[in-house]
Amino acid sequence: MKSRLNSFWTVLLSVVVIYLIVKFGIPAVARQVTGLPFPLPVPGALIFIYMVLTLIAMFLLVTFDDGPLNDFLRPIKRFLRGDFSKPVRAVGIVLISAAAGWYVYDNAVPKIAAPLALRIQHPSSNFPKKMEDAQNPMANPTEDQVAAFIEQAKAGEVQFIEQVIPDFETWKEETGEEDPLLAINTPAIKKFRAELEADNVDNETAHAALMEVRLFQGRALYAMNCRPCHGDSTAGDGPMADGFKLRPINFTDNGTIETIVEGYTFWRVENGGPGLPLEATPWDSAMPEWKVSLTEEERWLIIMAEYDMAEKTPRIPEKH
Amino acid sequence: MIFGKLGAALTLMALMVPGITQASTVPSGSMPKATEEFVEKGRQIYIKRCSFCHGLLGDGNGPAADYLDPRPRDFTLGTYKFRTTISGELPTDNDLFRTVSRGLPSTAMQAFDSDLIKNGLSEEERWQVISYIKTFAVEFDNPDMDPIKTGKTVSLPANMPPFSPELVAKGKEVFLNAKCWSCHGKAGRGDGNKEFRKDDWGFPIRIRNVTHPWKIKGGGDVEQIYLRFTSGINGTPMPSFVKTLSEDDRWALANYIKSLQHNLTSQQVLTALTVEGDVPTDPANEAWNNAQPMDMRLAGQVIVPPRWQNPSIEMVTIQAIANDRNIAFKLTWDDPFKDIKHDVTKELNTDEIQKVGIFNSYVAANGMIPRALDTFRDSVALQFPVKEPSGTKKPHFLRGDSSNQVNLWIWNADVAEAGGKATVDANARGWRQPPKIQKDDQQQVVSQANWDQGQWTMVMKRALTTDDKNDVQFMPGKFIPMSINAWDGSNGEHGLVMSVSSWHYVLIEAPMPITVYIFTALGFLLTGGVLVWFAKKAQAEPGSEAT
Repeated sequence: MKSRLNSFWTVLLSVVVIYLIVKFGIPAVARQVTGLPFPLPVPGALIFIYMVLTLIAMFLLVTFDDGPLNDFLRPIKRFLRGDFSKPVRAVGIVLISAAAGWYVYDNAVPKIAAPLALRIQHPSSNFPKKMEDAQNPMANPTEDQVAAFIEQAKAGEVQFIEQVIPDFETWKEETGEEDPLLAINTPAIKKFRAELEADNVDNETAHAALMEVRLFQGRALYAMNCRPCHGDSTAGDGPMADGFKLRPINFTDNGTIETIVEGYTFWRVENGGPGLPLEATPWDSAMPEWKVSLTEEERWLIIMAEYDMAEKTPRIPEKH
Repeated sequence: MIFGKLGAALTLMALMVPGITQASTVPSGSMPKATEEFVEKGRQIYIKRCSFCHGLLGDGNGPAADYLDPRPRDFTLGTYKFRTTISGELPTDNDLFRTVSRGLPSTAMQAFDSDLIKNGLSEEERWQVISYIKTFAVEFDNPDMDPIKTGKTVSLPANMPPFSPELVAKGKEVFLNAKCWSCHGKAGRGDGNKEFRKDDWGFPIRIRNVTHPWKIKGGGDVEQIYLRFTSGINGTPMPSFVKTLSEDDRWALANYIKSLQHNLTSQQVLTALTVEGDVPTDPANEAWNNAQPMDMRLAGQVIVPPRWQNPSIEMVTIQAIANDRNIAFKLTWDDPFKDIKHDVTKELNTDEIQKVGIFNSYVAANGMIPRALDTFRDSVALQFPVKEPSGTKKPHFLRGDSSNQVNLWIWNADVAEAGGKATVDANARGWRQPPKIQKDDQQQVVSQANWDQGQWTMVMKRALTTDDKNDVQFMPGKFIPMSINAWDGSNGEHGLVMSVSSWHYVLIEAPMPITVYIFTALGFLLTGGVLVWFAKKAQAEPGSEAT
């Protein structure tokens, strides 16, 4: 006949095994199943519930009948009587008491944890309502602006912001070309130039070409002003990003500039960290108050380019 | 049986899960043929994503170029730093592919691999843009200069023993014998040369501090370090050691360099070491060996004009020791030059930069800011809020704001060198005004500093509490926010042209409340008592001595 383990030890072993499965087994399996590079731990409250259920089950099992109960209590009684020898009993009692003491100590000792700041990411408590419907004037050129652009292009004198002019000047010198549009020459601009040459300019083509010209300038402004933190990838990973505890926002992430209206983006660019309400911990934000340094037109150009580079579109304001 | 089936099912599930997409710096094949259409597609990408730094003509003079250090590559020269070809040669296509894919860490050149960033470039797009970049330099058209056809490539050594203390010791010998220290410094902090180095085009470059792995642009692993001294870095004074060092020596050296790399600490709270005796003022005092270090990362001050994208100091390690009266902070940071002079007349006039409009937001790295020795002093400042923060509310980490004052302890190397009172106690309410220095009788911070082998160590010490309402007060058990401003004088830094850190915390642990001990003792005694009582009861019971 096989020797059977006493039910006290079976119960103890079962409880430990179940705990290990819940604590380490499930997260390990979860990691395999989800393919994520980290385990998914079982929440502490859930572990507690599982263990209580286990203990109830064990209790029922043991107290089902006098036989199992006596079987279960036997090693405890033998230990208490000192049947395993008196020194074992003494050491056992001291160890169990010490464990209880340690548990009390661990709960009573003041835990050191830095104050936790819960931060609201898109605070709206001080967002001016009138900005909600703001449209980006750079991304929505008027008919007059398109007409003026066609005239400029005809004369080969499309206007650019001052910041990009030196590079165009070198380009003109080196290539002998005059028309700056030729330096950009995206498909939309190629089409526009072809229509110009045929003297048959479609307004839509001109509109598209003007957008390209504005995007080009917006990207240049982004590279000069925003790129150090937000990165040329717009993923919030520029060379300065590691120095700030509150990392620059990753615009390519679905939860960022895509979930807000353009007027909100503008408002944030304008007022930066200092313009945040208290619930958004303005003291931790490295976002500059760009109204101090950039003109309104520059800021809109940047926002236009930012959405384009991140391959996102702003949220459309609701109808009122 | 059941477990067998379950196990099999789990294994199957694990097999079906696709692995994490592994970004690759090695292309799946060789570069496609550069047809006119292929190159034109590359040009479209280049104009959109590269031209703002590298310029419309690939000359490294785009609108953002002036703000970058190192400057963007001038593609017209065909000179590339990170290659697997022998010194002075062109890079291979795969070398260019690697750089475009992974970028150059800590520079403006970022990864473009679409596996690394959502809006990145596919492998084909990367080849397209590379084919366009190659059109800028005529050298790439010359088959006699093709490093693959001419067999001028380098590779990893045949024998690559794993990292070990013996290998590192051998590498250290190579480091000494090959005189790597004459540029990189005895401790590898880039302080070997007593003046600035320039690249082949006269732009100032830094000798690499090899202890900061995040700054190793070509890659900080042993293989990449090995390739750097095998290929040399074209356009810079970094030579190739192919002829002077054997493969084994270079491999050992690469392992030694790897061993010098600093491991960043991760905690945001600095716990002060509490001592019974005196708090040390000497940075060399042995007591500092027992104090917990916390690395604080710094970024360039890019928040307000004049912004600064080219900071020199990117990390300050801080420690604290306190007793019941005083607290001392030890700051340790790398700086290849000891700058102990300050010329006020060379300071930047920021009036123009403070205005809204054209070119206002940045200071050209190589133009407006003098980067030279003996111009500006090295400095560092510790910053604390004056008022104990309520909840998480703090002053802004850049010098506070009008309603939230900060207390700055500003240490200046020139005053320290002259034997004066090097640390001033000052206050600021925002960045628009320079910090206001407190009255002489309220100056209570003492300091002592030392510069050795490209590293400053400096201790600031003050009483825990003062009777000055403009001072920070340290109370045990309170988390005191703390941040750092730092200036490297020879990097042109002064005023708001500096490095800054975000808020961290310093904590002086409060003595353990006596109740903790009482509760613990009670828990122990109660449990013990109950057990003893049970034991007594069990013994008294007539036991059925079953065996």
